Amino acid sequence: MKLTSVKYLVSNGFKNIWLNKLMSIASIGVLVACMSVIGLAVALSINVDHALSQLEKENVVMVFFDDRNSALYAESNLNSETGTYNEITEKDYTVHNFEEAIKLCAEIEKLDNIATVEYFTGEDSLNDQMATMGDQAKFFESFLFSDDYGNPMPSGARVSFVNLEKFDQTLDNLEAMKGVDSTSSTRDLAEKITLIKHAISIVGFWIVAILLLISLMIVSNTIRVTMYSRKLEISIMKAVGATDSFVRLPFMIEGVTIGLLSAVITVVILYFVYKAVAGTILNVMTIATLIPFGDFFWIIFGIFAGIGVFAGLFSSAFMINKYLRKEGSEFRAL
Amino acid sequence: MIVISEEFATGQRQRTAEPLIEFKGVSKNYANGTHALDDVNIRINKGEFVFVVGPSGAGKSTFMKLIMKEEKPNTGEITVNGFKLNKMKRSQVPYFRRTMGIVFQDFRLIPNMNVFENVAFAMHVVGASRQEIRKNVSRALNLVGLAEKARCKPSELSGGEQQRVGLARALINRPNLIIADEPTGNVDPNMSYEIVELLTEINRRGTTILMVTHEHQLVRDFGQRVVMIENGRIVADNANGGLL
Repeated sequence: MKLTSVKYLVSNGFKNIWLNKLMSIASIGVLVACMSVIGLAVALSINVDHALSQLEKENVVMVFFDDRNSALYAESNLNSETGTYNEITEKDYTVHNFEEAIKLCAEIEKLDNIATVEYFTGEDSLNDQMATMGDQAKFFESFLFSDDYGNPMPSGARVSFVNLEKFDQTLDNLEAMKGVDSTSSTRDLAEKITLIKHAISIVGFWIVAILLLISLMIVSNTIRVTMYSRKLEISIMKAVGATDSFVRLPFMIEGVTIGLLSAVITVVILYFVYKAVAGTILNVMTIATLIPFGDFFWIIFGIFAGIGVFAGLFSSAFMINKYLRKEGSEFRAL
Repeated sequence: MIVISEEFATGQRQRTAEPLIEFKGVSKNYANGTHALDDVNIRINKGEFVFVVGPSGAGKSTFMKLIMKEEKPNTGEITVNGFKLNKMKRSQVPYFRRTMGIVFQDFRLIPNMNVFENVAFAMHVVGASRQEIRKNVSRALNLVGLAEKARCKPSELSGGEQQRVGLARALINRPNLIIADEPTGNVDPNMSYEIVELLTEINRRGTTILMVTHEHQLVRDFGQRVVMIENGRIVADNANGGLL
């Protein structure tokens, strides 16, 4: 196609939008509505994902080392007759000192799906435990630090995982390590987080898919109406020797422009809606943190522009091809 | 007296034996069972002016559609302007159509375009430059006597004027063949004569004209070759309007 033809057709495409302005406005309106719902779904999904990721990081697994305290105060080492713990030697436990504990931490860090490893001593562990006990802690204080009983809490590491979907496998790997006595975790929470993430991604996918289909139908319908309103022009074009691509191009430009215009309008609307919603949420819930709109602006705009261009191109190409092959008559009475 | 400028002549008047349109044993049946054309054999040479007449439903429209490659024959061979239509691919049809001009009974002017734009439209389709379009459209409008109405919308013109715009549009790409489908059907009798005179003058300059009409008086008065179609068959083919 010659450059002069392309220029003519491009300007024709834009002119068509103006000539069919009521239909174009209606299409843009419905597309903006669809894209707004998609945008809100994406924004919600991104925020929930962000919140869950925070939870994932906070979902720490306590790994207790097989050190002197854990070996000495193990249930298996309790003498049921005397009610006291049996004496133990260095052979009875694996982690003997700070260096060995740090080495074990380094080995844990090398495992798959490990995000962070934070070492704690038996004393840290005891202090944490006492802190959670509040007033009752005073009762245990004299008891724990008497001559008969030392600190029963073993040293260990707070370990967080990268992906909670691999929770069980990672936990099994941790428990199988030499030097690890036991673990304490909130498996239920991990399972719930994974479940919510799955649910959100499935719901999000279907929302986007359904609305994308609706968008396609809207743009197709606009193109169809435009085509029928211009069947006289098309019939003349065909009669004087216009190629299919010559007939098709203005419609495609019209479709893509409607799609892109809708994308831009939706992003602007969404920006203000998000700002208002974020402000309200932050006022009501001081603990909630929303991701700033700017952080996912390009994702949203990319999705909208993609939907707009795809809907515009696909529907116009599809509709005009159908029309040209079946209904585009040159000689027949219009 | 209408004078055709040299720019719109496709050559000197020629009635050579070289065929421009040739039908060999062409039949056309539609899916609904209508037998539109039955074993049609005809040859129209370059430079001829041919009236196609016949009652409604005789097969005239199908005859024209086959020439334009809007329909395919069930049997037989069609050659137009050197193109063998039976073997032509769909992608070649637009380039074939550029060798002919079509004048419609209902004018088919685009209402929101003015006279100039309506004629220029056919040149945009073939990718002509702005300068070419400006130059040729002005000449074509001069030819049909509508230069002063270039900025008018079709709704501001009479039926005869609208048909002259249609004629200018058909001429603008200098076709070898003009197909006119009852071009006088929607205009008053005086204007009918003017339009056929215009077509005759175009024909004198070398363009082959094929015109479908119901106006027998017009055919008699202009005394050109007449092809009569009835029940899908060519029942008469006479020179000088003699059969009417």
